[in-house]
Amino acid sequence: MKEKEKTTREILGEKLSRRKRTPLYNPDALKTLRQQFEQWINTIVRETDRENWMKTPRTVLGSDIPREMLYTPLSIPDLDYAEDLGNSGHEPFTRGIHANMYRGREFTMRQLTGFGSPEDTNKRMKFMLDHGATGLNVLFDLPTIQMYDSDDPLSEGQVGMSGVCVDSVDDMGLLFKDIPLDEVTISIVTHYPSNTAILFPMFLVLAEERGVPWDKLQGSVQNDITLEELIRSGAEYIPPQDCFRLQCDNIEFIRGNVPKWNFITLNGYNLREFGTSAVTEMAVAVANGIETLDELVSRGHDVDSIADRLAFFWSPANDFFEELSRVRAVRRLWYKIMKYRFNAKNPRAMWMRCHVQTSGVCLIQQEPLNNIIRAAYHALAAVMGGAQSLHVDSYDEAYSVPTEEAALLSLRTQQIIQQETGVTDVVDPLGGSFYVEALTNDIERRILDEVDEIERAGGYVAAIETGKLHREITTYFSNQQRDIEDGNIRVVGYNFHKSDIEPPSIDVFRYPEGVEERQKTRLAELRFNRDNQKVDGALTALKDACAKGKNILPYCIECARVRCTEGELFKVFKESYGLWKPPTLW
Amino acid sequence: MSGKIKVILSKLGLDVHNRGLITVAKELRDAGMEVVYLGNALPKEIIRAAVQEDVDVVGVSSLGGAHITLGARLIEEAKREQLRDAVVFLMGGVFPPEDNATLKEIGFDEVFTPGATREEIVSSVKRLVSNKKG
Repeated sequence: MKEKEKTTREILGEKLSRRKRTPLYNPDALKTLRQQFEQWINTIVRETDRENWMKTPRTVLGSDIPREMLYTPLSIPDLDYAEDLGNSGHEPFTRGIHANMYRGREFTMRQLTGFGSPEDTNKRMKFMLDHGATGLNVLFDLPTIQMYDSDDPLSEGQVGMSGVCVDSVDDMGLLFKDIPLDEVTISIVTHYPSNTAILFPMFLVLAEERGVPWDKLQGSVQNDITLEELIRSGAEYIPPQDCFRLQCDNIEFIRGNVPKWNFITLNGYNLREFGTSAVTEMAVAVANGIETLDELVSRGHDVDSIADRLAFFWSPANDFFEELSRVRAVRRLWYKIMKYRFNAKNPRAMWMRCHVQTSGVCLIQQEPLNNIIRAAYHALAAVMGGAQSLHVDSYDEAYSVPTEEAALLSLRTQQIIQQETGVTDVVDPLGGSFYVEALTNDIERRILDEVDEIERAGGYVAAIETGKLHREITTYFSNQQRDIEDGNIRVVGYNFHKSDIEPPSIDVFRYPEGVEERQKTRLAELRFNRDNQKVDGALTALKDACAKGKNILPYCIECARVRCTEGELFKVFKESYGLWKPPTLW
Repeated sequence: MSGKIKVILSKLGLDVHNRGLITVAKELRDAGMEVVYLGNALPKEIIRAAVQEDVDVVGVSSLGGAHITLGARLIEEAKREQLRDAVVFLMGGVFPPEDNATLKEIGFDEVFTPGATREEIVSSVKRLVSNKKG
């Protein structure tokens, strides 16, 4: 069997089995411990506890991984410190990608912002920066995400909702007015490969026109097929293979032209929020990462020069120890994949760097102030797991996008963790805990098993095309829903300790008015004032590039320069690639 | 009332969040109803499909903030096609608390927010359909 035909799990199994292991625990000591344990469990532990030694936490978005009542060295008898943990900033990076972690660099406080017009969002971003945010994180409105212009009939009534509307470079300019593009790191949440190929070029052209060289720009795009093809609801989809190609085109272009930019955020978050377990969230992102790197290597790129800009995006839900352990687990697994499957040499290319956003699905409408506490625990788990940057959801998001007050409270949650609790002074503070290490091992194995299943089903894109992943995820969230309704999963204030007391009313965000009309006027002016001959020329060139299978990004840049609108580019994609009908989900 | 209750479900406009609506689709089907899942559509298309399919219930979902703007347009279209009094209109999604009342004033028969249980949804649909059909 050739190397290529082996699954990742098989390759890792073979290569790791050849490595010499030096278990930390002395076999004689373990033997004595085992005897003492047997005696303890039979004499001290109550019979009911003995019978129910394993307990499976039932939590919102949990993985149903059974837990022992007490963890001891017997739970991790083979632990090899150097092989399994290592020191921070050193292989296998379980304890963190940097030696000094948060002592060296605080986690970036990057609160998601986006609503109304570009001017509205610009104002909120400046408010957050003025209050100590250390990065920006821009979310687009539904028409922009779904790639329709603000004056498209499909956009009616939705412009500036759930995010900010951007139709052209000019809107991008208003969005980042007075924000130095070469000083702040900016996460531009272009969810899909398709809208990344449209919106990021607008950002690059904005930088160009402001005289900021592209190599000074720092930040990230999302650019993930998972969002475009697996978990969104939309009116029109391009086929998965083409979407995947655009994802790789984006990476290739950004790597070559915007060297400090993170060109893909392998997105577990939205999949998790759609409704899946902690394990599946990571398995899907890892499987996508593997397939993406395979494609780029086959296009002739050196894996070391590509993989050092990969980033991941996770959603920590309610099971505190599962959440912090799995960030450690996937960091180790990704290291192994890079080292043993892709033969990476550059340590940076082996890093699982991640942004974490606390779970929105775990927030509920009943007694909304309780959500502040939930989000704080999610955030703490992320920090214990060693995340690089963080967004904390706001307590009022079970109703609408956050008010300014609620958004500030989310930022304050991060600042309190960073500045007041002392948890960031010691690297990987829970490393070495029998429980955390056993759970980390268990979760790593489960993630790899699910990656293996995807690879055996033909790989990541195939698992989307056939509907395999769609079906599994739908089954998971239907079962969760039932378990919550039946009270098997407890949600305080909703199905457990429900209160009849009317909770204090909260202020809820209202979208600014008149955005759609203003945006339509602006677009009409743009279409009138631009050189429409150049626009046609740029769109025709793009269409030609799509047909010839060239990397389309240089053509998208040209389209942005001559003020093509987002919807005009998406139309070219649809005409070139055709439309795909996603599998039925119910 | 006789026969199977027929329901059309749709995501309102361009909203991307479909977990809730898929869950409801499965629950109504499991409760013995006939479900037509339209996917993302604008008010006009939803009403056109409702007429063609001759449904008893139109259920729409919005988590993206457009529940009032597009919800109002849906009811307008329904009135134009004389469906408003013959068919049950439901809205589900995430909105500010006081909007529940606004949606009912606009003309929705019932509004469901996160936390609505399958029993609540199924029994409301049955009750509202039998009220309308007499």
